[in-house]
Amino acid sequence: MLKTPGHYDYMPWRRRPKITWPSGAQIAVWLAPNIEHYELFPPHNPRRNPWPRPHPDVLNYAWRDYGNRAGFWRMADTMAKYGVRGSVSLNVAVCDHYPEVIERCCELGWELFSHGTYNTRYFYEMDEDMQREVIRDSRETILHVSGQRLDGWLTPAISNDETTQHVLAEEGILYTLDMTHDDQPTPVNTRAGRLVSIPYSLEVNDVPLFVSRATPPDRYVQICKAQFDQLYEDGAESGTVMCMPLHPYLIGQPHRVAALDAVLAHITSHDKVWLATGREIAQHYIDHHLADHQAWIAEGTP
Amino acid sequence: MTLPPDYVEYPIRKRAMDHDRYPYRILPRIAPVTWPGGARVALWIAVHVGHYPMDMPLKPFIAPGGMERPYPSYWDYTQRDYGNRIGIYRMMKAMAARKLTGTALISAQLVREYPVLMDEIAAAGWEPACAGLDMAHLHHAEVPEATERATIAEAASLMRGRFGEAVTGWHSPAHSESSHTPDLVAAEGFTWSAAWVNDDMPYAFATKAGTLTAMPLPQDLSDQRMLLVQNMATEDFTNAILAAHATLDAEAQATGSGRILTLSVTPWLMGQPHRAKAFGAMLDAILARGGVWNATGAEIAKAWAA
Repeated sequence: MLKTPGHYDYMPWRRRPKITWPSGAQIAVWLAPNIEHYELFPPHNPRRNPWPRPHPDVLNYAWRDYGNRAGFWRMADTMAKYGVRGSVSLNVAVCDHYPEVIERCCELGWELFSHGTYNTRYFYEMDEDMQREVIRDSRETILHVSGQRLDGWLTPAISNDETTQHVLAEEGILYTLDMTHDDQPTPVNTRAGRLVSIPYSLEVNDVPLFVSRATPPDRYVQICKAQFDQLYEDGAESGTVMCMPLHPYLIGQPHRVAALDAVLAHITSHDKVWLATGREIAQHYIDHHLADHQAWIAEGTP
Repeated sequence: MTLPPDYVEYPIRKRAMDHDRYPYRILPRIAPVTWPGGARVALWIAVHVGHYPMDMPLKPFIAPGGMERPYPSYWDYTQRDYGNRIGIYRMMKAMAARKLTGTALISAQLVREYPVLMDEIAAAGWEPACAGLDMAHLHHAEVPEATERATIAEAASLMRGRFGEAVTGWHSPAHSESSHTPDLVAAEGFTWSAAWVNDDMPYAFATKAGTLTAMPLPQDLSDQRMLLVQNMATEDFTNAILAAHATLDAEAQATGSGRILTLSVTPWLMGQPHRAKAFGAMLDAILARGGVWNATGAEIAKAWAA
């Protein structure tokens, strides 16, 4: 067993080589709607049972199913109202089950990246060949439905195994979201290839907040605004990233969608904000800042 | 199957504790304590600088912040590690802006893992205290005494190797202790310890290797319990701290004896972007009340003993 992921070096939050974003922005904000399908009868995985109740877990299945039927449409309209694009963390089987959802994402100019095939197919104990098969399926499916290249990756339920980041790099993935160690993009060390991490979030992620931490919608707004305000301020020194992971079955509920509206109103009322996609952030970092970060690490982060 | 007759026999039932570590003491009747400058409340900012290995054991219990999800939990590991990369620097900045110092309760393994972070803690002027080897090495009854002794010795050696004689304090990870821990900690040369959450003021704690000063480090009023375990809102935690301060300050005024307000805070919680400003605002509110003496754990222990 590994004691640490071993994929990144220590980078203290002071005197880092400065990151600049396009148009003098202090912060890159990106929204990551997780568009998912959880199977009613998922196969067994030795490390995790997807459902808390005996299968079929009708209550928990239907809760998530709501997202694709109702929540997604409401969430997408709210984002469109503010001109904020999504970068979809996509269970690619959704392309087959509910093509209308994907058509709407493409119509809005959203990025599609992979969140595996189903959210009930964990990477725990997958051998490398099987991981590659899933990644290749994702690449082909996303290309087929959208013409887009597969650049980003979030392992279903962050169930990555020890080898996953290495396989991602070898498969030519640009950025991974499996680690939440930073507020800026960072290099990812892998046995071959090149991979960067860009910030995802468990702090302003609607699942931990609404499901685990019993957060009322008005406090969700307060937390997201505070997250933005601090990172906006920090970004005056060196550009930061704020990610808002969304799940349509939660944020798209009628009692919560106004909270998303309020957060987006706050964010878009600031001028030094780069409303970006995951791919755009990763590519900008790779093109302009990755080498500086690697050199600074090599010097011992003076 | 019934209980044996001695189940209702009480050999320890007498006017004494059921152990010999310390006698009963009544807080309102302690000898008056004077802080430098006539301050009413000593402010001790105790910052948990922890290392949570991904392969940490989940038995006999999971410490707050331990790996809750299946191995390899990048989810848990990287969220905690965020505190050592980013969160602690936000807290250092907030404290430096207010000219405040504190004590870093350090997982000694970080001396190996993150020497740059150790340099920054030293440069900030914080007191370095030893918080065990790491969060994978909890202290409990199932650890053989020789193993526990070796773990404490390794942790002490790492910390002294980096910080020298400045290391006088011990905090067992997650307040975990076996029956032997205080004896082994004292034998290793530590002079103060923060583990038993049974008082607001220091007291003498007997060990087989001399007396430790037991320092007040709350668990009921800590960010790990309130924000992580109990999922409370940030302002519920900061308001609780301010309520504690109000009570302790009033007691100090009423009795003429100093009190201690300890902040048990954690960079992967309070150093998150959405909480950083609340941390600063809480410090401002404490300072605004006046009569505060900010000090390290060792300084407070010394002033108490004087």
